[in-house]
Amino acid sequence: MLLMGFDRNNPAAVASRNAPVAGAETLPPFGASTARDLSARFLPPLLAVTSVIGIWWALYLIYPRLLPSPLSTVAEAIRLVTDGTFFFHMYQSLRRVFVGALAAMFFSVGVGIYMGTVMMGERFFQPLVVLGLTIPGLMWALIAVMLFGINEFSPYFAVTVTIFPMLVINIWAGVKSLDKELIDMSHVFHFTKRMKITQVILPQLVPNIFAATRYGLGLAWKVVVVVEMFGTSNGVGYQVMKSYQVFNMEGVIAWTLTFVVAMIVIEYGIINFAERRLTAWRPKIDVWRR
Amino acid sequence: MAKLVVKDAEKWFRRENGEPLKVIDRLSFEAREGAVTVLIGPSGCGKSTLLNSVVGLEKLDRGDLLFLDDGKNRERPLIGYVFQSPRLLPWKTVAENIGLALQGAGIPRSERAARVERYLKLVNLEEYTHQFPLYLSGGQRQRVGLARALAVESDIVLMDEPFASVDELTARRLRQTTRRLCEQLRRTVLFVTHNLAEAAYMSDFVVTLTGRPARLDTYVVNPLSSPRQWGADVYNFAAELETKVSLKEDEAL
Repeated sequence: MLLMGFDRNNPAAVASRNAPVAGAETLPPFGASTARDLSARFLPPLLAVTSVIGIWWALYLIYPRLLPSPLSTVAEAIRLVTDGTFFFHMYQSLRRVFVGALAAMFFSVGVGIYMGTVMMGERFFQPLVVLGLTIPGLMWALIAVMLFGINEFSPYFAVTVTIFPMLVINIWAGVKSLDKELIDMSHVFHFTKRMKITQVILPQLVPNIFAATRYGLGLAWKVVVVVEMFGTSNGVGYQVMKSYQVFNMEGVIAWTLTFVVAMIVIEYGIINFAERRLTAWRPKIDVWRR
Repeated sequence: MAKLVVKDAEKWFRRENGEPLKVIDRLSFEAREGAVTVLIGPSGCGKSTLLNSVVGLEKLDRGDLLFLDDGKNRERPLIGYVFQSPRLLPWKTVAENIGLALQGAGIPRSERAARVERYLKLVNLEEYTHQFPLYLSGGQRQRVGLARALAVESDIVLMDEPFASVDELTARRLRQTTRRLCEQLRRTVLFVTHNLAEAAYMSDFVVTLTGRPARLDTYVVNPLSSPRQWGADVYNFAAELETKVSLKEDEAL
């Protein structure tokens, strides 16, 4: 929609679009450009995945007792998905990740903005954040289960406290690089505090919030899986542990695989989509254009 | 209609080595109702500091800023401001940028759209209502900034070298638009520049300042009639202004 508006309203843009690319007439005639674009886009990741499977297969052929075959593992993964086990346990894990991550996000945006704008806030929270960063997620997982026992609060707590300092650091850094001129403008035009936060400050923090979300979700998964291994009776972590206890390597790898696929869907499907929507105001930048 | 009175204004900054540095020294003048008062002086003489004090971004160390409306002073009234760079929120469309300023000014939601449309028409940008600022040219963005400052319909409007960052031909067109709107809307405008031809063209009154610290140098009434054209008259008056400013140049250096 944005690009359509751009073309229609800006005669200069229309002109530059229709103009031939400088030096284009000297380019050698390559094949169909769409085919080239597609192969350039999908070939490298396909090659990466194929090479991992190739190495796995080779290792399976050399040490058949140590590793399960890729085929039987994929068959196991398909069974998990088709009989619904996967969806039930994945839902449990996802819920824990998202509730914990949302709570952490909520607190970290508040604390990050406070640290970046009030000197006392920075002095108070900085040592706590540094301390929090040094404590491994595994420790929080153990502490949470010991403190709250085997219930739903333990994974929520562990995820929130593990990723909170990392999110705060990102948002705090973002607040420190806020555009002072825009803040001054909002003051001059009598913006209310609420308008300043929602219309001027938060939109500037969008890149930081996305960076923090990506990293935070990755970390949250790891913590949730650990908590589930010994603190819950369902979820992906619990299933991996169950497979481990009967030395079912196929099960362990099949669960890990399905879990990775779910992560990729979230990253490319949800986060990328949301980021594109929220940064649509920015013209596309091509740094390496020749 | 309100006027802005600057009375015995003084402002100090602290240098890096801790020594105090006076930037404005007992400056008094007024920006009259419904007229454009242009403030000229060498770069770094404290003109922007003065404007920032007027809108409350900085505080004077001594002296008063009065916003006199029928002889009564108003505390922190709404003031339209055209900045040197457009200072638009890039994630908001042109209409939303102006709309937010109107919201800050307490204009009811039902009136905002019509007012945004009216002022965008005044600066000839009505086709760009739903465009994001980064897709506009520098001159167009500056016109959005001008529309925003006028749309809040404050009695007083400040302009801080608003055309310094666009090319001369664009600047000339922007000056014509701005001068036409000033004559039409009769706001009290305080306009800062270091471009003498711009001062000659835009002003009803000219206040010249000395170099740092800024003191009142001369107060000149612009003899040109309105509406005016950009031409020889403007350059002649600019040359006259130059004789008044350059006499004090040594002090600025």
